[in-house]
Amino acid sequence: MTLKQISLKRNGKQVLHNITGELEGGKIIALLGPNGAGKSTLIQAMAGLLTCTGQIHIDGQNIQEFSAEQLAKNLAYLPQHSQLQFPLTVEEVLSLATLPFKLTRLQQRQQVKALINQWGIESLADKDFRQLSGGEQQRCQIARTYLQLSNMTAENKRGLWLLDEPASSLDLEHQQQLQQVCLRAAKEGHCVVIVLHDLNQALRLADEVWLLEKGELRAQGVATEVMTEALISQVFNVTARRIENSGDSFFIYS
Amino acid sequence: MIKKLLVSPFGWLVGILFSLGICSAALFLGSLEAHSLLNSEIGHHILWNIRLPRVLLAFVIGASLSLAGVMIQSNVRNPLADPSLIGVSGGAALGAALMIVAADLVAIQAQYFIPLAAFIGGILATMAVLKLGRNDMPGGMALLILAGIAINVVAASLIGLLTYLATDSALRHITFWSLGSLASANYFWLTLCSLALLLVCFWLPKQHRKLDAILLGQAEANTMGVDVKRLQIQSIVLVALLAALAVSACGIIGFIGLVTPHIGRMLVGASHRYLLPLSFFLGGSLLVIADGLARTIIAPAELPIGIVTALLGAPVFIWLLIREGRRLQW
Repeated sequence: MTLKQISLKRNGKQVLHNITGELEGGKIIALLGPNGAGKSTLIQAMAGLLTCTGQIHIDGQNIQEFSAEQLAKNLAYLPQHSQLQFPLTVEEVLSLATLPFKLTRLQQRQQVKALINQWGIESLADKDFRQLSGGEQQRCQIARTYLQLSNMTAENKRGLWLLDEPASSLDLEHQQQLQQVCLRAAKEGHCVVIVLHDLNQALRLADEVWLLEKGELRAQGVATEVMTEALISQVFNVTARRIENSGDSFFIYS
Repeated sequence: MIKKLLVSPFGWLVGILFSLGICSAALFLGSLEAHSLLNSEIGHHILWNIRLPRVLLAFVIGASLSLAGVMIQSNVRNPLADPSLIGVSGGAALGAALMIVAADLVAIQAQYFIPLAAFIGGILATMAVLKLGRNDMPGGMALLILAGIAINVVAASLIGLLTYLATDSALRHITFWSLGSLASANYFWLTLCSLALLLVCFWLPKQHRKLDAILLGQAEANTMGVDVKRLQIQSIVLVALLAALAVSACGIIGFIGLVTPHIGRMLVGASHRYLLPLSFFLGGSLLVIADGLARTIIAPAELPIGIVTALLGAPVFIWLLIREGRRLQW
């Protein structure tokens, strides 16, 4: 996917300004920035959900020309919050990931069963999705979008996995599980775009970092090069110290 | 268990037999005994030309309103939505009231024109709501509902105004009509309503997974391959058609479109694969029972069916609400 001078005004306020960049298959890109920087808006624009000025292309074709089905075969999007108000079971929610693909009911069921086993959510399968805890809901939604991505792999397509703050309600164990899945998706050739608040997780996980501030790209590039003490301190309005320890780097704040 | 039954041929057979049973019971419910209905000329006339179209129309309209309720609630992702919310009932009621008062003023028989006026009113109101609602804007669905409420308010106030102009008999007519009655059922309306229901029954099953996706949210549905805007427009047009025809044939029948989908969801959840067939049978059967009661409780007089559906359904709904307790947050 390529983004060329993406801008968006909402209620007279510039929420995205001249964003240009390239998303390559096999890479994990972290979108970082303080609250209101435009991370969610940018990821929604990438998902084709917003009409903005500038151009977004997938494999040379403008995203606005894609049908909903074509789009769903090229990208999977996880929103920040779940809005489900009706009693669907977890299994029913997961099976929706197969919607864009031509699969028999038996294939759908097998895929969902395999996914449930793989993610260790057997005990949740028959539960009403709304009754799950925030973290459980998030895991199920990540699993759902991952299944959509897996079906792209099955069709020999490299897709885009857009994750808007997927780690916000996850405990440590499941944050690590998320990292493993992101790495696996990248290894399969997909491009993972992930909105993160944990800078250390970004340092560990991301191949590339896009740092946003007030709707503009402040910096873009390899995580260890972009995330300097000075820049992080300035953008996030904290005193950040980057510690290097046997090849690993991490931030501490005061 | 119910879920598995609903998607098996055996389940459909059970549903059809159950509905047929209720319809046949309703057919022979009344002051005339089955024996005299079957063995006299007048009995034959009552059975084939009055009761049969009435019972069948009750089933078709009950099923139509119930499916319309499911469609509108799912599309706007609002459990409190019902078909009247897009202005169709208000417009239809206004059309009918206008015709009743006008016909009364010039002293002509207008019984055939009232349903026509109601249908035109309903469709015009829906078109106005669609125009005002601008579904192509972000948050357009909320705007659409607000437009529907506005149109309903305008229609209600105009009907209020008309009641001042109306004579006593016209006033009684408007009141009776606004509470609904299947007394004027005939094969014409039965055919028309059945055709509309058939159209929806042909279209709707192919959309069941798309409607499930919309429940998750508009953004999710869009990125799962659903053309949300198109599906919403198609749904609203079909809901308007079903509701306008229902209102034209028998006045305003509340409650069925709002509550039957909820009862269905309590039994099988919100997945449309199960909810749609269940709502079809449930809505149809419920209205046949309500109509049977409406015409026999105070026979030879008749109760407006809207009163019966409310009296019958509201306590059941309240009981279910209490039983389900806090789990019911939709």
